[in-house]
Amino acid sequence: MKPLKKCILMMADDDPDDREFVREAFEQCGFEGEFRYVEDGAELLDYLLLQGEFSGGSECPAPDLILLDLNMPRVNGHEALTLIKSNSKLRRIPIVALSTSESADDIEKTYDLGVNSFITKPSSFDQLVELADGLKRYWLEMVKLPTTV
Amino acid sequence: MVGGGVRNLHEVDSERACGLRIRSARHRHRMSFQEEQKSQDRVISELQQRVAELEANDRFRLVVESAPNGIILASPEGVITMVNQRAEELFGYSREEFVGLRIDELVPTRYRGHHAGLRDSFHGDPKTRAMGAGRDLYAVGKHGKEFPVEIALTPIPEGGETYVLASIIDITQRKQSDEALLRYAEELERSNAELASFASVASHDLQEPLRKIRTMGERLRALCHHELDEKGRDYLDRMVKASDNMHRLIRDLLSFSRVETKGRPFSNVDLNKSVAEAISMLELAIEESSSGIEVSGDLPTVTADEAQMMQLFQNLIGNAIKFRKMDANPVVRISAAPVKMGKRDGVELRVKDNGIGFEEKYRDRIFEIFQRLHGKQQFEGTGIGLAICKKIVERHDGTITAFGRPGEGAEFVVTLPLEQPKQREISQS
Repeated sequence: MKPLKKCILMMADDDPDDREFVREAFEQCGFEGEFRYVEDGAELLDYLLLQGEFSGGSECPAPDLILLDLNMPRVNGHEALTLIKSNSKLRRIPIVALSTSESADDIEKTYDLGVNSFITKPSSFDQLVELADGLKRYWLEMVKLPTTV
Repeated sequence: MVGGGVRNLHEVDSERACGLRIRSARHRHRMSFQEEQKSQDRVISELQQRVAELEANDRFRLVVESAPNGIILASPEGVITMVNQRAEELFGYSREEFVGLRIDELVPTRYRGHHAGLRDSFHGDPKTRAMGAGRDLYAVGKHGKEFPVEIALTPIPEGGETYVLASIIDITQRKQSDEALLRYAEELERSNAELASFASVASHDLQEPLRKIRTMGERLRALCHHELDEKGRDYLDRMVKASDNMHRLIRDLLSFSRVETKGRPFSNVDLNKSVAEAISMLELAIEESSSGIEVSGDLPTVTADEAQMMQLFQNLIGNAIKFRKMDANPVVRISAAPVKMGKRDGVELRVKDNGIGFEEKYRDRIFEIFQRLHGKQQFEGTGIGLAICKKIVERHDGTITAFGRPGEGAEFVVTLPLEQPKQREISQS
């Protein structure tokens, strides 16, 4: 298992406040790794595929966990998910959908597209810290993932 | 004597009797008195008969003439031989113009070829029938103006041939009001759907900024608590509380709008099961309040949205427990009885409690969204529960009302049809 310090957490969300909340929540629960973010699905794909503004790619190691918002401009979460999960090099990166949606249709569709977990954004900061702690412990400490992602 | 008889008849119909009188007078001088007497009697009886006939004819003509329908008589060749006044008004031809006109002239050009064939088939099997059953019929008047009509055809045998009597109603107005009604119904449906999706979208989008206000407030309280004085902390507390309250309101508004937008298709629902599920959902509240829930007898099975039936009972029982008296354990009694709802068989469900009751003048208000009869300190909640009940019941073509008195408990009465029209079961998803 990778030491927590070397883990990279990637958040794709167009809302700067939410990115800030999540970063703070992970900080508060003792996450010592690197928190990176992109602002939409297109940027996320560019990062993962080392293209566009990320071509060259020495600064773009694959993340250990992706937190994916669904409602984003340009390429939305569902579209990004479809492309990532159909790419044999990227499909093993765990993706947690973090959305404001509680709709059964959204949840169903997101799982059908291969998401690893679907979580509705908590409505208080305390709950967010709890969530960050849970995600950190489960996805970055407990789960055994293939070593080559 | 003779003259007297004639005079009497004269009074009835002088003009028509005139011909006969003159004829009989012309014969008089050649006959004997007896003969004359006899002949005169015959003439009188003939006269009476003829007058009666003419009178009947006149009455009939009057009936046809004043009929509210346009009436046209056409020969087997399709030539118009007689019309009434209404037909003149409808088509704009005078009586003189009408007679001799071909009936095809009253059919819009684009249908004429087809009409000739239909006319032949009518003469092949002449019987009274409605013309063009199941499709829209149009007629065309003198000035080329088309109008929608309803036509009944009746065969009239005359001298070994079959004439056709067409009775025509101008249905322009009926068609217009039918169309207006249809447009209105469509408009209503669209605006209802719009409203439902508006409520759902609005409440979902309103949650977003609110979530941030709450989170920022919490962060402020957690991180900057010591930098605020007592007044500042009080304001902050109230702000967070107000945003919590708004969060509940939006959540409830969303669940209210979901009754319509997220309604499931109807199926056969055993109400005993719905009540049992509702009770198990309320287990904690029932335990904490030491409530007794009694279901008397067997509840029927109805065609309904299963989840909504559960929610209906959950809200009604939950309501009964919430508005309990402080000095008595709540007892909620649920019963059912068959009831007629117009022509449909229905069930009348009663949910009766021994709680604080209410004043009946507020009966309608308790079912309105966000309406409360009590202060928020006294009873928690936004005032959504009964509004959702009403919406659920109405989605099932049912009714809900309540009876009660302050301090003497409340009784909620719900009627639901046992069955729903087939198409609703399929289409509502």
